[in-house]
Amino acid sequence: MTALRFFGTVIVAVLAFGLLSPPASATWKVIDGGKKADVAKEKMSVTPKQDWNRSSQRPSPYGELWTLDGFSLNELSFFAAIPSGKAIYYNYQTKNRPLPKFKSKMLLTDLAELFESTNRIVLQTSLFDVSSVEPTKLAGHDAVRFQYEYAVQGDELKRNGEAVAAIINGKLYLVNFVAPAIHYFDRDIVKVRALIDTIEIAN
Amino acid sequence: MLKKLLSGLLALSLTIAPHSVLNSSAKIENAGAVLPSAFGYEPQDEDERGLWLQMDEFEKKLKHSKLLVKDPKLNAYIQRVLCKTVGQERCASTRVYIMRTPYFNASMAPNGMMMVWSGLLLRVRNEAELASVLGHEFGHFENQHSLQSFRDIRAKTDAMAWFSLVPVVGSLAQFSLMGSLFKFNRQMEREADMIALNYMSSNGYDPKAAATIWEQLRGEMDATAKGRKQKSRKDMNGGFFATHPNSKERMEYLKDAAGDKGNAGFRDGAAEYRAALKKWWPRLIDDQIKLNDFGATEFLLEQLASNGWTSDLLFARGELYRARGRSNDFEKAIGFYRKAAAKRDAAPECWRGLGLALMRSGAVDEGKAALRKYLKRKPDADDRAMIGVMARASK
Repeated sequence: MTALRFFGTVIVAVLAFGLLSPPASATWKVIDGGKKADVAKEKMSVTPKQDWNRSSQRPSPYGELWTLDGFSLNELSFFAAIPSGKAIYYNYQTKNRPLPKFKSKMLLTDLAELFESTNRIVLQTSLFDVSSVEPTKLAGHDAVRFQYEYAVQGDELKRNGEAVAAIINGKLYLVNFVAPAIHYFDRDIVKVRALIDTIEIAN
Repeated sequence: MLKKLLSGLLALSLTIAPHSVLNSSAKIENAGAVLPSAFGYEPQDEDERGLWLQMDEFEKKLKHSKLLVKDPKLNAYIQRVLCKTVGQERCASTRVYIMRTPYFNASMAPNGMMMVWSGLLLRVRNEAELASVLGHEFGHFENQHSLQSFRDIRAKTDAMAWFSLVPVVGSLAQFSLMGSLFKFNRQMEREADMIALNYMSSNGYDPKAAATIWEQLRGEMDATAKGRKQKSRKDMNGGFFATHPNSKERMEYLKDAAGDKGNAGFRDGAAEYRAALKKWWPRLIDDQIKLNDFGATEFLLEQLASNGWTSDLLFARGELYRARGRSNDFEKAIGFYRKAAAKRDAAPECWRGLGLALMRSGAVDEGKAALRKYLKRKPDADDRAMIGVMARASK
């Protein structure tokens, strides 16, 4: 349990609770740099400059996970068209630790609060702080960009994250990047921001 | 196998896992034996030396944990309450570590390392209640319950396998794992409860506080269940509670035993406790609100407000209702924020919450005006850029 990463933690927690059999080892697909790729069940498309790796593990029915070097070093997640009344991630612990749900009437600042609460519950940590909440655009729509940092119990490496979220036609769209604060976040965040700028959202 | 083990342990950690009980036959002193709380105590045999060695290693790592609450004043205060409870000489053998973990728990290792979770500090209301938990954990230490458990386990299994499970870094699961390794049987729990009660009454703390904690926790479990439309688990048996007296039984025998101690001018130290925790309330409440447990949080806020609703508490209640966001919640939140903002020591965030709740309720212009007040009061806010855009007056 030393190299827990963002969803790795979810998976470890889920396994620990015995609610899910260990996934058959995840399969990977290379996303070619320079080409447009569909993400999150074709609800979004993105044109990365570099090659990325897409995992077959999904954080929710609405999301997918990419990485450059492995989830413990950099993790990019896309969520598209999460409907009102649904949580951001799979809600494995509905009885003991239910996740808060997205609502279509939420304000942009509410999205950062929803994200924080969700991740505190999933990661089981109180060391999770959101900072610099600012306006931005996602595929031309009004959006919020927020940065955060956290440490998880048992893996106290500080991680930084940055996410962009928007409500489009009453549904939540979210792109989230997380990496260790040491070296990796700063190394990759510029690539991620450039990638987010290429996002197109299907009508 | 490991999956099953972890499953049980994590479940244990998420159940209320405090320790606090008693038995009229328990003794504070083991006649003739040297207690681990004695000055200069050294582990007595191979088993105990092995346990201490492992725990010393764990403690070294724990000292660097980001989860540690390092506030020197708060740490000194908690240690002081322990010392007032068990006596200056005895408490010198223990080190208390406060962990920023929003659940009710405390644990004790055989080498004198005690961990107290921040969720416990949010839930106890006075020094006497805190003393009952600290005294109980101290009772486990002083009576070497973990050593007894270890010998019991070792008699049945391979010691090396046991040591391989000893936590090396402080994760929630691992803390729980440790809790399980040092799982005490019902007899030990009662014994530790009794020790705590004796210490409390000997040193002036109201022993009735030990039962009150259980009463509150049972109330909180009811509130969680109600909020989530589930059946309350307060009278659950089996699982974790199979080795612990259930909360009702515990509450009742604690109440009886405390009654036997009379009422000789005991104190509860509520004012001192509130003063020591004042700076931490907003953070601890914020941690609790973000657990998405509306019922329990509302219950805790009402408990904390038993001496009146302060601006911090009203603000927290506003945040709680705004986060849940059901049909009437925004109106209620607006009321709480307004009351919070009217107090002299209101934090700028009261106007943030008020503005956002007003906007969600449809009062957009009024909401924007409140957001502008927030930015005026906190021009360097982390979210100033986003709020600034949202607060712009409509054309």
